[in-house]
Amino acid sequence: MNFLVKKLKVIKAVALVTYKEWSAYRTHSMVSIFVGPVYFIVQYYIWTAVYSGKTSLNGMELSEMLTYFGITTLIGYITMDFADWNLQMLVRTGKFLTFALRPIHHRFFALSQKIGHRILGLFFEFIPCLFIFGFIFKINLSPANYGWTIISVVLAFLMNLYLNYTIGLTAFWLVQATGVRRVYLLLQSIFSGGLVPLVFFPKILQKLLLFLPFQYVSYVPAMVFIGRYTLAGVSIPIPQIVGLQAIAVVVTALISEIVYRSSMKRFTGVGA
Amino acid sequence: MLKKYIEIYRECIKISISTAMTYRFNFILDNFIMLVSNTLFPLVTLLIYGSGAEFPNWSLYEVLLIQAVFTMSTGVANIFFSGVLWATMRHIIEGSLEIALIKPVNCLFFLIASTVEFSSLSLFLGGGVMFAIALSHIGPVSILMVLQFLVLFMSGVCVMMGISLIMAATSFKWVGNSRLPEIFDSIKYFGRYPQNIFHKTISGFTSFIIPVAMIGYFPAAALLGEANGTAFIAILPCFVFTMGGIFLFRHMIRLYEGVGG
Repeated sequence: MNFLVKKLKVIKAVALVTYKEWSAYRTHSMVSIFVGPVYFIVQYYIWTAVYSGKTSLNGMELSEMLTYFGITTLIGYITMDFADWNLQMLVRTGKFLTFALRPIHHRFFALSQKIGHRILGLFFEFIPCLFIFGFIFKINLSPANYGWTIISVVLAFLMNLYLNYTIGLTAFWLVQATGVRRVYLLLQSIFSGGLVPLVFFPKILQKLLLFLPFQYVSYVPAMVFIGRYTLAGVSIPIPQIVGLQAIAVVVTALISEIVYRSSMKRFTGVGA
Repeated sequence: MLKKYIEIYRECIKISISTAMTYRFNFILDNFIMLVSNTLFPLVTLLIYGSGAEFPNWSLYEVLLIQAVFTMSTGVANIFFSGVLWATMRHIIEGSLEIALIKPVNCLFFLIASTVEFSSLSLFLGGGVMFAIALSHIGPVSILMVLQFLVLFMSGVCVMMGISLIMAATSFKWVGNSRLPEIFDSIKYFGRYPQNIFHKTISGFTSFIIPVAMIGYFPAAALLGEANGTAFIAILPCFVFTMGGIFLFRHMIRLYEGVGG
């Protein structure tokens, strides 16, 4: 119990400091209030044109498609992460040493930072855009099931952190890891379902995507929000796909830990 | 005078290549990623047409042509003047703009020349391949169409330059906001698609106010034989926009106050 209380105190302290630090740059977050709706307007016209004369495409109606884009944007504000960039910067500049000396795991520190950073995102990105999408664009933003949606978004939050952190760890081998980061971000942007719902991909690719972690960052929480999940012709009930998402998060966390321990064996530092 | 500036520009390009070669693996990977991401750029369009849907009255290759032109224009802009934003932003944050200001050359020229970035070369080349594929699937193109395309394409590149300079000028006041490009990227997004899918108010905005339609749509329309009066009238706002960017940047330089870097 004491262990848990101590961990919560660390999360609270780090999250609060991160929140205050980034509050100084809150207009940085508020850029999303402009960018999110502008991208949504483009999507609105693209898909309205594409659906002209059609009621359904790949099992999705126009209203579902617009909800999908609205909700993936909003989920993106909650799960947004740059642990990979941060970690590779710390490694390249040698500043990681100051973290290696601290009595907490750096990934836990990164998680606490992310919580603080995303609480700021909640106030300055998520809530304003929620109102814009709901009241101006009239998008249906009521989830099919609040409980499963919240659990799925929390799991997507963790999944994004663990994946990005693992990519950031490659800096211990490459030093300059921007290339690897860009490969990963490219794959994630396409295969997470952020550009287009994954049911639009060829069937073979959909089957492959079932076994990759990307869908758990964006596509799964969005479909849990809509209330039905289908990929590669396989329909999975919401509780089961959320369960699979939880298993994927645990596996990714374990892989991240293995890579972390391996990278610590490579790490050398001089002069804290 | 001109010779001096050409010599400086050539030296800057040499330095840019040498810098890229310091982290060769990263440079090659960056270019590879640019190339791959470029081939995936029209992914949404391919998936839409692959699903049996379409943009009304637009074939797949006609839409791909718009997106290929947009990619090439972005490639040119990224190589030659997109870096000016990051350089200006860095100088403002570090208070080191004086180092650029005391040099015996035009400050804007120096910032543009010193930020030539070859990691976007593959973006232009990839766009070129996509352009050739799309062009081979559309009807014959006359010399007049090619000339119209070149004029409109150059106008689109000018718009990209104007956007870069406006962003750089904004960074004087909106210090350290690395999300500035996202604002303009979101507006540029309109230029990737046929303009007739948008509401007339929006297409008017993207043609005459912030003329992002010139980056992809209008030059491609010229090759499709559909460049109408609107496309040519839109050239004027493109140059006004670019001159506005230059004027704004120079104005911000005049307002800049430093204490020795």
